[in-house]
Amino acid sequence: MEDATRTFGKGSCPPGPVPEGLIRVYSMRFCPFAHRTRLVLRAKGIRHEVININLRNKPEWYYTKHPFGQIPVLENSKCQLIYESVIACEYLDDAYPGRKLYPYDPYERARQKMLLELFYKVPHLTKECLVAIRCGRECADLKLALRQEFCNLEEVFPVVISSTAFTNRKSSTPSGEMENIFFHPRSITLKILGYQNTVFFGGDCISMIDYLFWPWFERLDVYGIADCLNHTPALRLWTAAMKQDPTVCALLIDRSIFLGFLNLYFQNNPDAFDYGLTC
Amino acid sequence: MSLRVSSFFCGSGRGYLSWPASTLGHDQQLRCFSASSAKPGRPGLRSAPPGPVPQGLIRVYSMRFCPFAQRTLLVLKAKGIGHEIININLKNKPEWFFTKNPFGLVPVLENSQGQLIYESAITCEYLDEAYPGKKLLPDDPYEKACQKMVFQLFSKVPPLVTSFIRRQNNEDGSGLKEELRKEFSKLEEVLTNKKTTFFGGNSLSMIDYLIWPWFERLEVLELNECVDHTPKLKLWMAAMREDPAVSSLLIEAKAFRGFLDLYLQNSPEACDYGL
Repeated sequence: MEDATRTFGKGSCPPGPVPEGLIRVYSMRFCPFAHRTRLVLRAKGIRHEVININLRNKPEWYYTKHPFGQIPVLENSKCQLIYESVIACEYLDDAYPGRKLYPYDPYERARQKMLLELFYKVPHLTKECLVAIRCGRECADLKLALRQEFCNLEEVFPVVISSTAFTNRKSSTPSGEMENIFFHPRSITLKILGYQNTVFFGGDCISMIDYLFWPWFERLDVYGIADCLNHTPALRLWTAAMKQDPTVCALLIDRSIFLGFLNLYFQNNPDAFDYGLTC
Repeated sequence: MSLRVSSFFCGSGRGYLSWPASTLGHDQQLRCFSASSAKPGRPGLRSAPPGPVPQGLIRVYSMRFCPFAQRTLLVLKAKGIGHEIININLKNKPEWFFTKNPFGLVPVLENSQGQLIYESAITCEYLDEAYPGKKLLPDDPYEKACQKMVFQLFSKVPPLVTSFIRRQNNEDGSGLKEELRKEFSKLEEVLTNKKTTFFGGNSLSMIDYLIWPWFERLEVLELNECVDHTPKLKLWMAAMREDPAVSSLLIEAKAFRGFLDLYLQNSPEACDYGL
């Protein structure tokens, strides 16, 4: 994998200018936001180099790339810097030829952006669940909130299995948690944003919106919250379809390495970010 | 140019003419659509859902004093796009409005194909892409990304202004004002680095329209002092007022104040203030 390199930390020398013909992404192997950008780079076949940043021990020079030291950041050979993961992904789609990940049609483009709005609470909630579980705290409320967000996304897909899906949705778990979930009037969201018979969020083929969502779904298992998909069969089908995508597969993070990273990260070990690297 | 007589009224016999925005400004002066459970028999109550959007027009669901909806109106104006406006009573929303946007917020665009677009920034980008004429977003991918990064820089301003408006009478807003000043300094830095009048270069473009509505409201909210230490931002504000789209949509201070007082009391009459 292109990004299997050691992180730059405090005291490190700044990297030189980006060579012509390449674009550089400042990243971290386990960061879901940077993962979005790496997916797009891969999907479009864009030649790039990855510089991993030690997020607990940021190099001083990194603040010249991003005012708050966040990742991902793109830097091109003209020294232009682009940050915010969604902006970086759109920039790559606009600036590079080949396969377009955003649709051409203005309405379809707008639809993908509206879908992204449906997703905005997911990153924060998944992180909160992870932290709670790792710190041995209760997180039933957080998981419920996350399930609610997944139900909102589920609304975009037509009902995939006729009667059983509805039965599953309405049945409550032993603790009765399902009772508290409110489903958006399905017909409205489906009418506005939904399609008939699609596998992916943008239609029959994978597109930008799928890549923008994917990193958090990949992490559900290793975060210990995969059961949050229990009541969303369409989302589970989508996850399975995503795992068949060559780009997604190429960047899939090994489970044991991810767990190793998480263990060290929650022990506040600054070496966490380089876990699993052999060189 | 076609005349379109809207027949949404129940009660009073007054007809209402709806002109494309690029001709007269008075299409803005349309009473809100409200929930049907509102006082029955009140003259001028509009609650029935509007019909389909006529060919050749795009419809925007709006509210005369909403800064988010103002973004969309600015773009419609700047690009000369023929449109009709339906104002929504945000304190008493018609039930059918949730079929246009499940979140029940303005602005929403609806075209003659029945396609719906919501979220103000998404509506603005859609209009720029779907309609010909002057492009408000740059073609250059990097310049376009820069506009979106500035938009992110601005993103704390709307919630800060809302907090300031909603603060209780005994709270002094000095903490919020200080936070606003900090956010404005970030924007000042952009103008300083770019050495241009506007946020996208030497002519006005999308990013300027997207952030304008909150700067328009600074004076009436008595927040003008927050730009005292950001001279370039002040110059930008003055330059914005010269723009034809901006000046045609300027809201009179008294009307805004009247609206705001009623809105903060949750009055269902707020959104129609001044009509």
